[in-house]
Amino acid sequence: MATLLTAADDILRRAPWTTRSARSGPAIVRLAACLAAFALWYGGVMGAFRGLTGQDQWLRQVAYSAVKVPLLLSGAFVIGLPSFFVLSTLVGVRRDFAESLRALIAAQAGLAIALAALSPLTLLWYASSTQYDLALVFNGVMFAAASMAAQYLLRQYYRPLIARDPRHRKLLIAWAAIYILVAVQLAWLLRPFIGSPHADVQFLRPEAWDNAYVKVAKIVWQALGL
Amino acid sequence: MHDLLRRWFADVDRLLRGDATRTELLAERGGLEVEVRRLLGAVAALCVCYGACMGSFSLLKDVPPNLAGTSGRVMQVIASMIKTPLLFLLTLVVTLPSLYVMNALVGSRLRLAGLFDLLVASLAVNATVLASLGPIVLFFSLSTNSHPFMVLLNVAMFAVAGVMGLNFLLQTLHRLTNLQQLKSPHLAAEAKPVDAPLESLAADQPAEDAGQPSDQRAAGALDMPPGQALAHQTRLVFRCWIVLFALVGAQMGWVMRPFVGSPDLPFSWFRERNSNFFTAVLVALGKLLFGD
Repeated sequence: MATLLTAADDILRRAPWTTRSARSGPAIVRLAACLAAFALWYGGVMGAFRGLTGQDQWLRQVAYSAVKVPLLLSGAFVIGLPSFFVLSTLVGVRRDFAESLRALIAAQAGLAIALAALSPLTLLWYASSTQYDLALVFNGVMFAAASMAAQYLLRQYYRPLIARDPRHRKLLIAWAAIYILVAVQLAWLLRPFIGSPHADVQFLRPEAWDNAYVKVAKIVWQALGL
Repeated sequence: MHDLLRRWFADVDRLLRGDATRTELLAERGGLEVEVRRLLGAVAALCVCYGACMGSFSLLKDVPPNLAGTSGRVMQVIASMIKTPLLFLLTLVVTLPSLYVMNALVGSRLRLAGLFDLLVASLAVNATVLASLGPIVLFFSLSTNSHPFMVLLNVAMFAVAGVMGLNFLLQTLHRLTNLQQLKSPHLAAEAKPVDAPLESLAADQPAEDAGQPSDQRAAGALDMPPGQALAHQTRLVFRCWIVLFALVGAQMGWVMRPFVGSPDLPFSWFRERNSNFFTAVLVALGKLLFGD
């Protein structure tokens, strides 16, 4: 536990082992372990809604959600990585790829750490309100806050890369577009993370194979009365 | 087989890194030197990969009872794997003659073989970017039920890859033109030297804003060579050709459809010939936003 917290502190402060160019393999493993552990923690907290609102099967929901948040973060990362690699090569910064990769994983780990740090707030919210819709919104706000922290951390990690070669800035924008495109759909696919009180606990909803963007477009068009 | 694949992808890697199109190398070899057969092999392999991702849409979908069975869905994957490389190669075949003629008319010194090499190299970049977007398409193919969404997503992926490939084409052409101007004494007198100081060109804007590499970093395959602009007519011809290539490619895709394959329709290699690509995109957008 102490090792994990020390590693988290190192990631947030950009300790030398997280940025040193030599021996990137062990550093990536440590970063990935942090990502998995803290995402697992926040997932578990997300799934505790049922337990704190006195419903059955809450332990199962906790376990499912604990598995799904690391899956969400790592899945979006892995699916987007081949495109990022080819774009890095094409733009001419392939020699910095190992460093970029480490910065991206560190930012992902930072996102998980920020989420874990916000988890007491989520628990407090669950203890204060039993409304499922509000719990959904609150978790959305937590993800948004953690994403902003991760974005800040990513810029810090990327600062030397951008100073060396400004083309990295464009790549960061491309990465953000790819990551968001995939992550939104993956989150939709992996729902429920909280567990509706009106439904049985399931790993995936029966209607999981659907499209987040189509849903959002329909909601927007309906709201506009079109 | 392993060796062959390694050589194919080593060539593609050289193109992506910009190693094959460095000004010094082009000058040393007197033009772009690529192994066209190997690049075509790589283009085909990369397009087959993307085709598999694109055709996988109907694999996990519920189908109407009259279409029960998996053979049609598997056939759609196979058809997409075959048709995607053909789409690129046929588009190239259709547009190459017009480009060559226009190119010769405006006095460019690129010969047919040189032009073909350049276009195949740009297709290789296009196909690599497309294949790298394959996992994203595969993910959406398997996780969404919306056929119009998948059509539009694939159009977007082709557009992104196309922009990259054609950008590579234009930048390589810049470099080749520089080379020709320096070789030709009367043109060289008018041309700025290739190694002209960057500051003279970008005195009032930072290097990255000018889209140019500083001498501190290696030039990428998409970077503008310093100190030179393409002859006006040649640039115009290539820009017109890019529009033509995009239009032909889009319509070729329409003629060769289906690539994504609707789970509600029986498998067929081709659909009946009606409408056009642009109407189909608008219809897909309408269906996506307003439903059927």
